Amino acid sequence: MNLVEKILARASGQESVKAGDVVVANVDRLVMHDLSAYLTGKVYDERIGKDLPYPDRVVTVFDHHFSPPTEQQADVLNRNRAWTKKRGTQLFDCGSGNIHNVLMQNGLALPGQIVVGSDSHTPVHGAVGAFAVALGNDSHAGTVMPFGKAWFRVPELIQIELTGELQPGTTPRDVALWLVGQLGEGSVIYKALEFTGPFITSLGIWDRWLFPVLCVDLGAKCGYVEPDDVTREFIEALPGGRLDLLLNGDGDPVEDVRRFDVGVVPPTVAAPPTVGNVHPVDELVGTPLQWAELGGHGGGRLEDFLLAARVLRGRRIHPDVKLNLVPGSREVFRQALELGLVADLHEAGGTWFPPSTGSNQTANMGAMSEGRR
Amino acid sequence: MSTTLNERLGGRSIVFGDDVNTDVIIPGRYLISIDPVELGSHAFEPLGPDVQAKLAQSPVVVGGRNFGCGSAREQAATCLIGVGVKAVVARSYSRVFFRNAINTGLVAVECPAAVDAIQEGDDVWVDYAAGLVTVGDQSYPFAPFPPVLQEILEAGGLIEHLMKKFAKEKN
Repeated sequence: MNLVEKILARASGQESVKAGDVVVANVDRLVMHDLSAYLTGKVYDERIGKDLPYPDRVVTVFDHHFSPPTEQQADVLNRNRAWTKKRGTQLFDCGSGNIHNVLMQNGLALPGQIVVGSDSHTPVHGAVGAFAVALGNDSHAGTVMPFGKAWFRVPELIQIELTGELQPGTTPRDVALWLVGQLGEGSVIYKALEFTGPFITSLGIWDRWLFPVLCVDLGAKCGYVEPDDVTREFIEALPGGRLDLLLNGDGDPVEDVRRFDVGVVPPTVAAPPTVGNVHPVDELVGTPLQWAELGGHGGGRLEDFLLAARVLRGRRIHPDVKLNLVPGSREVFRQALELGLVADLHEAGGTWFPPSTGSNQTANMGAMSEGRR
Repeated sequence: MSTTLNERLGGRSIVFGDDVNTDVIIPGRYLISIDPVELGSHAFEPLGPDVQAKLAQSPVVVGGRNFGCGSAREQAATCLIGVGVKAVVARSYSRVFFRNAINTGLVAVECPAAVDAIQEGDDVWVDYAAGLVTVGDQSYPFAPFPPVLQEILEAGGLIEHLMKKFAKEKN
């Protein structure tokens, strides 16, 4: 069995499962952000209402509104606070960071666990070898909250094998974006993706993060990297980091293997309107931009600020450009402070925002006007 | 919103292309609501009032491949219910949209042959128990839904289905 099959077999109390089976499995973690938590909680109270049997498995992170712009949105947060108190679930309030970074930094998404959430980037927790998928509010209110369970169809596996050495000036994010262009948006609907090969295993967890976060754009159900020593070391250093659920796949041959050499990847840009619209940076260089942001669920990592500071230290951004810096969590901000990155990027003209999901859905940080990019 | 097998499901169709994103189906700024009718008034708003007016007259939405891709928002299914859509017929779905559709009681079937045949405005009928999409006098088969999905749709969604089941078990 591969990693996903082993996790699903154990969580559904079966010896083995195979692609195409439908199983009902115990869920270890449900994570919701301010919007989905409000709606899910409302549905749960109105239509189900009993006590949660596993309140500690349910986590809410306020990441869309670090500072709600309207009374209505402020009210949504208050209702969420009241709900988490009443139901005894965990809450990370405004300014904690983005939903997935917070979950990971707090040891709440662990190898071998089943992690579900209504955010489409939930598969990112496959970076540490969790089986992580996006469900919907009614799945959460109807089965995960009252029973700690959800149904899953066991997905077929595609192995994405990445080998070779990066060209100078390219980064793991270039590879991840380039890969979306190579595979195609929506090209692997329902599949599980195993990211493997010497390039992947050479990466730290926060760079591995960049691959399963793109599952939604590829149409995949989930993606993961087999846990290894890098994973173990990372998890052991986290508060509450545990390895007792860690599983590895058996290494059976996989029918569908896609092999790529990262040595051919150029510095890559995903341009609007979707992540699949990728171009070598050479094709876009000179395009005027007014808004730049390091943030969101895939960004706001310490690695992003290290790279930005390497380019911007001692220099100034263009006066027409607004550079938003949004740490993925308080931990990222603390480390950026310690390393002097906060000062470097401030001096360069960037503006630091509270840890959150950034300008996602224009809830936190205002909107862009027509014609600006 | 519940559907029964006795009712014929379908009617006039509106046709969309490939990769219809949930942010086009229901923009992020309306996600504060879960009221299907209120959400329905904003369904496909980014495509303009003409498309919205046509949608309101079309119980069947037809899509290409990867319908409902992008954000996992459940409101992409509920807004269609709210505007009066009875069924979606597509070449394929983004998996979260499909799951959300079944969970909220919206019939969503995969039938590429029917999608090829449908011209916008055609009357389209869906029988998910038999696994048939009918366009004019032609019928196109697809794998019928397994019994549990049929039960969920007949109950009007996942939560209704579970509540009904528990009520039965208690008695």
